[in-house]
Amino acid sequence: MSLVKLLNWVQTSRFAHGIAESNHLLIAFLQVVHVFGFIFLLAPLFLVGLRLYRLVLTNYPIEQVVKQGRKLSLFGLSMTLSSGLVMFLSAPLHYYYNWAFDTKMGLLVLAIVLYVAQFLCVAALDRRSPALARLGISMSLLSWIAVCMAGRAIGFV
Amino acid sequence: MGTAIAEGRFAFPVLEGIHLIGLSMAVGLLLLTDLRLMGVFLPQVPVRQVHRQLQPYILGGFAVVIVAGTLLFFSEASTLIVSPPWPFKFFFMLLAAVNALYFEFVIARRPEALPEKGPLPLSVRCAGLASFVLWALVIICGRMIPYIPHWA
Repeated sequence: MSLVKLLNWVQTSRFAHGIAESNHLLIAFLQVVHVFGFIFLLAPLFLVGLRLYRLVLTNYPIEQVVKQGRKLSLFGLSMTLSSGLVMFLSAPLHYYYNWAFDTKMGLLVLAIVLYVAQFLCVAALDRRSPALARLGISMSLLSWIAVCMAGRAIGFV
Repeated sequence: MGTAIAEGRFAFPVLEGIHLIGLSMAVGLLLLTDLRLMGVFLPQVPVRQVHRQLQPYILGGFAVVIVAGTLLFFSEASTLIVSPPWPFKFFFMLLAAVNALYFEFVIARRPEALPEKGPLPLSVRCAGLASFVLWALVIICGRMIPYIPHWA
């Protein structure tokens, strides 16, 4: 089965119809969850970044900042991914033919790879090479900003 | 300027993106501060340190949000002012600002308000909770604007 046929099958499924034909406030609710998830995902990353640049909490171990931020950030990631997935499943073909969505998905994969690498090894990397750790967090933040910009463009192309 | 933003192909989504990124930084770091005031985030770090050190970045984020938000308003003012969630958004922002000023100039100035260690006074935790809830309501109202364009 080709990808287009698979997406067509999803789009004509009862689940997709159920969401698409439901009250428009359901999509609004999913959008709210999506935005909250993004904020909870990104805020701890900003905090870790500020700590790596020695701008805040300098007398507090980076390991603790990462550990505390990770829980909240993963909660945000799960919120934003699950709400995004439900919105996608409501009209997958519509999104499939949208180049901003394709760009967002490519950037999302990059952002998640950098994100996982950050939370797994940023503290150890900061001890060995603070400059590399700062570069890593900057790349991670930039990748999420790019995901956000591509996401906002979806409704306009 | 409003027409140029509304008619430009990418001006509006770019401004929306900048608005959201500024929001993630400003409100995101503010929510982290609120969670610290409630005692559920970075409990080992003195609350005064979190509050003072994050403040410049929260204010910087808000500056970005206000500039982008104002430009977005210019581009669709006639649509926004008839949307029911829009006045509620500003009402909750006003309450959040009053709460922040009361915390800054009354609660935080009490000698026993922000101890280095141990549980925080109820007034501090309540101020954190109020800020968290009010900013959440601001975001909810903001996101609802396109979905509830006018009163029924």
